[in-house]
Amino acid sequence: MLRTALKGVIAHKVRLGLTSLAIVLGVAFVAGTFVFTDTINARFTTLFDDVYAGIDASIRPEQPEFGSAPGTIQGSLPEALLEAVASTEGVQAAAGSVGGFAQIIDAAGEPVGGQGPPTIGGSWIDEPALSALRITDGNGRAPSGAGEVVIDVGTAEAEGFELGDDVRIQTALGTETFEVVGLANFGTESNLAGATMSIFTIDEAQRLFGLEDSFTSIDVVAADGVSAEELVERLTAVAPQDTEVVTGDQQTQEQLDGFTEGLGFLTTALLAFAGVAVLVGAYVIQNTFRIVVAQRTRELALLRAVGATARQVTTLVALEAAIVGFVSSAIGVVSGIGVAAGIKAAMNAGGFGVPDGPLTVEPRTIIAGMTVGMVVTMASALLPARKASRVPPVAAMTETQAPTSPRSLRKRTISGVAVTALGAALLVTGLTLENGATAAVVGAGSFTVFVGISILAPVFAIPIGRLLGRPLPGITGELARENTVRQPRRTASTAAALMIGIALVSFVSIFAASIRASVTDTLEQSFPADLAFSSTNFLEGVSPTVESELEGLEEIATVSAVRTDFIRIDGQELNVGIVAADVERMYDLRPTTEIAEIGEGMLIQRDVLAERGWTVGDVIDVEYPAVGLMPTTIVGTFEDQTFGNYIVGTEAHGDDFFGDAATIVFARLADGVSLDEGIEATQPVLAAFPNIDMNTKADQIAEAEAQVNQMVALFSGLLGLAVIIAVLGIANTLALSIVERTREIGLLRAVGMSRRQVRRMIRAEAVIVAIFGAILGVGVGIGLGWATVSSLADDGLSSFALPAGQLGLWLALAALAGVIAAAGPARKAAKMNVLSAISYE
Amino acid sequence: MTLAPPRTDVAASILDGVKVYGAGDATVRALDGVTFEFPRGQFTAIMGPSGSGKSTMLHTLAGLDTLTSGRVEIGGVDLGSLNDRELTMLRRDNVGFVFQAFNLVPTLTARENIVLPLSIAGTKPDEQWLQQVVKTVGLADRLSHRPSELSGGQQQRVAAARALVSQPEIIFADEPSGNLDSRSGAELLGFMRRAVKGLGQTIVMVTHDPVAAGYADGVVFLADGRIVDGLDDPTPESVLERMKTLGG
Ligand SMILES: Nc1ncnc2c1ncn2[C@@H]1O[C@H](COP(=O)(O)OP(=O)(O)O)[C@@H](O)[C@H]1O
Ligand SMILES: [Mg+2]
Repeated sequence: MLRTALKGVIAHKVRLGLTSLAIVLGVAFVAGTFVFTDTINARFTTLFDDVYAGIDASIRPEQPEFGSAPGTIQGSLPEALLEAVASTEGVQAAAGSVGGFAQIIDAAGEPVGGQGPPTIGGSWIDEPALSALRITDGNGRAPSGAGEVVIDVGTAEAEGFELGDDVRIQTALGTETFEVVGLANFGTESNLAGATMSIFTIDEAQRLFGLEDSFTSIDVVAADGVSAEELVERLTAVAPQDTEVVTGDQQTQEQLDGFTEGLGFLTTALLAFAGVAVLVGAYVIQNTFRIVVAQRTRELALLRAVGATARQVTTLVALEAAIVGFVSSAIGVVSGIGVAAGIKAAMNAGGFGVPDGPLTVEPRTIIAGMTVGMVVTMASALLPARKASRVPPVAAMTETQAPTSPRSLRKRTISGVAVTALGAALLVTGLTLENGATAAVVGAGSFTVFVGISILAPVFAIPIGRLLGRPLPGITGELARENTVRQPRRTASTAAALMIGIALVSFVSIFAASIRASVTDTLEQSFPADLAFSSTNFLEGVSPTVESELEGLEEIATVSAVRTDFIRIDGQELNVGIVAADVERMYDLRPTTEIAEIGEGMLIQRDVLAERGWTVGDVIDVEYPAVGLMPTTIVGTFEDQTFGNYIVGTEAHGDDFFGDAATIVFARLADGVSLDEGIEATQPVLAAFPNIDMNTKADQIAEAEAQVNQMVALFSGLLGLAVIIAVLGIANTLALSIVERTREIGLLRAVGMSRRQVRRMIRAEAVIVAIFGAILGVGVGIGLGWATVSSLADDGLSSFALPAGQLGLWLALAALAGVIAAAGPARKAAKMNVLSAISYE
Repeated sequence: MTLAPPRTDVAASILDGVKVYGAGDATVRALDGVTFEFPRGQFTAIMGPSGSGKSTMLHTLAGLDTLTSGRVEIGGVDLGSLNDRELTMLRRDNVGFVFQAFNLVPTLTARENIVLPLSIAGTKPDEQWLQQVVKTVGLADRLSHRPSELSGGQQQRVAAARALVSQPEIIFADEPSGNLDSRSGAELLGFMRRAVKGLGQTIVMVTHDPVAAGYADGVVFLADGRIVDGLDDPTPESVLERMKTLGG
């Protein structure tokens, strides 16, 4: 049986080749995602292991349980603690250090990095066991005085800095110039995962990070024979209140957790795209097997006639699927390594430094890739295999083309509508859920909608196919039209594969347009400030220095900073805006109570308040990162959600959070100062802070648009894979249909149809199928978009926008995809030898 | 494409036609020096045992296949001088076909199948002529049917009507009644004969059936790729007689 199956596969290798490609692409994406994330994990694990390799324990200020960026230490320790620690029994060596934000400015005056890996500033530690930084011979020396800095070899190489060069470095104080006295390696690596590093003397670091007479951490090496746990115990005895003692391993783990969390989102997103690709692949596979089985009716019947049981025929087709699945999954897994390299390159190009090093291929990746590919192929071939078993032996003796029995369309309509409705219900339920299951339920709902519409698609195939074909001119158009409707199921499932990709792309367009419209609306309504300042660095906001220097300008009347941080209510981490009273003069949150009046209380967004069932005047328990639980009164509501759904005042609650950098700083120009004059006046302030962006209202809107457009481009790019697989599906179906129609094409050629007309006919057929799929897709996309946008109305998505131009573009691109899909089959059909085509069996 | 106006009384001709298949030991001379002129307005039958080269002769005459050597002309045009595009247009405008089976496009109605060559050319049918053709084949009430709704005989008559509709220089039919029962076959052949006698068409038909050959104005006998005999105004009996002598 296996041999017969193998022969079957080989005999249909061209047909199955395209199918394999559909599996290969999906599996490659799955495997690629795993390889990529495993690689990042492995690289970071090695790096952090190196960082903390020599440290047995550290004392640091007690860290908030939530609300702080991973890897940044909040608070400080008194310098005097170092002596007490050093004299503790079991401590071999101890060193205090400070860390903070420092961003290197390149020769062109632009900040280096900051959009991904951190820009680290720190103090030099002399004890080699406590620091992973190493300066090799010829690379200079450690910093020994003010105005000196050591930077990492990687950054120096990338930015062209050499020993003795002057380098400008930005900190919260502004920008200062330092001399590069040393270039440090990180253990054996030249760089820490894309981070930039600026290392100063301890005094200089304390000054730059505003931590005079204090440390952010005291790191300790244990004496021989003292375990890390023992050491922690002893240190805890000397450690003052509000500090904590942690082992090196714990810190490694904390750092890794921070990365894994960030990576978790990326993994989920990539796997979701991979899932879409696999789903589309499943359609293509099912369609191919169905057609192949139909075309082999005679062969299968012959097997039955010579004594094969129905079960054996099923097994035969299933085995063929298994062989195809196995081979393509294997190719897919191998290609996944290339995909991972591609994702890595794309991330690097996007400014996120992914550490160099070999790609990690875990056994799990291979198992997952193979399983996904095999299961999807086998499951997709299941129905066609069962159908194959029902071929009666007598079919061997009759004409090849069994007439397609017009299946009960009513039954199909009913089940299609039912499944679609079920999917829609799931989708709506998912969108209104408040907890973490949302994504899964929404995903399942969308999937079910796709299946429902696919069941319905054959019902639409005939009317829509005829309608779409109508404008096509001439006999080629008519033939193309009739060819698309003669096998409605085939046309429908080919189109359905394209539907999925187009639906998701349309959804993204609609969602993005709605965000764009909502953001523009919000900004138009609420942004009376003249200028807004924000940071391009992911991990650091706008320094208070910027705030105070702007205040000092006579062209500027008012300056107001908004910070955002996290609070916890009922254990749920929530974004909170911390605003100054005068923000009202800059930005209209549309509150029911004036900000100046909120005092110790809290404002909660109108709709959120209603949803939570609170009323103004309620006292709720709020957990703040720096001070913990504190009962807080709800004093009013507001509308604008730009700074989150919860707002507290800087005056009353500013100190309940760590860090003093602002998320955004607004400025109002003094009377009689023009916008240009105002911008001009701020330039000297900004000169010291190259990573601060200044925006006018128009800039803000443009920037928001740019971000949304970037999102659309990224998602559309990723979904493009699903579209490509669907196009392969169209090409595959066409190629198979053409084989079926060999004699017919021969006849058309014999009675005078030119090769060009044959090509035109096939192309038109592909275009009709593609547009059919795209119309279904855009329709489903509009539905998904509408459901999502309206359910997110509470979260600031106030307007539902239909980007007609973009949706039209997707339709046009689908038509183009049809043309591309048709290229191969059309050429093949046109090249057919007339005589042999006419006598084709 | 339009052919040169000088309409001689020869619709098509083959001169020293040689067709060789394969190479080396497996070489087959399907046509081995065939020369023949098909008179205009005549119904000519080509007969011969299986493998004698009948289909090959028909295909090369119709421009569906090329000769290894020799020359084929339709309406005075040398097919050897035409490229693929020109050959296609020649078939479209100047040649009609009736094959043994699978003559029709299943997605088109009978009427659409009949006017297919005109549709391909992008021209409108001459309604009067179309009516006449349809009436002659007796399909007036079947025009909106699809091939699957027509009997085998009706399908072949549709094919014949299609061959006639563009008023081609010549019509080639390869065993057109081969798959039909004798009554349907007789209807089809009767129609083809009327097309020649009443409408002035030229038809060349391959057949192995003496009854079918009896409808023709003349018969050419092929054996081993050569013309071995001919017969004018054949009857089934005279054809059978001649076949016996040739066979023996
Ligand atoms: N495409 C081909 N390749 C090789 N030999 C062929 C081919 N077509 C026909 N022949 C051979 O040429 C000879 C004539 O064939 P054909 O014209 O079909 O005969 P008929 O129609 O009289 O039965 C036969 O011997 C046949 O086997
Ligand atoms: Mg023959």
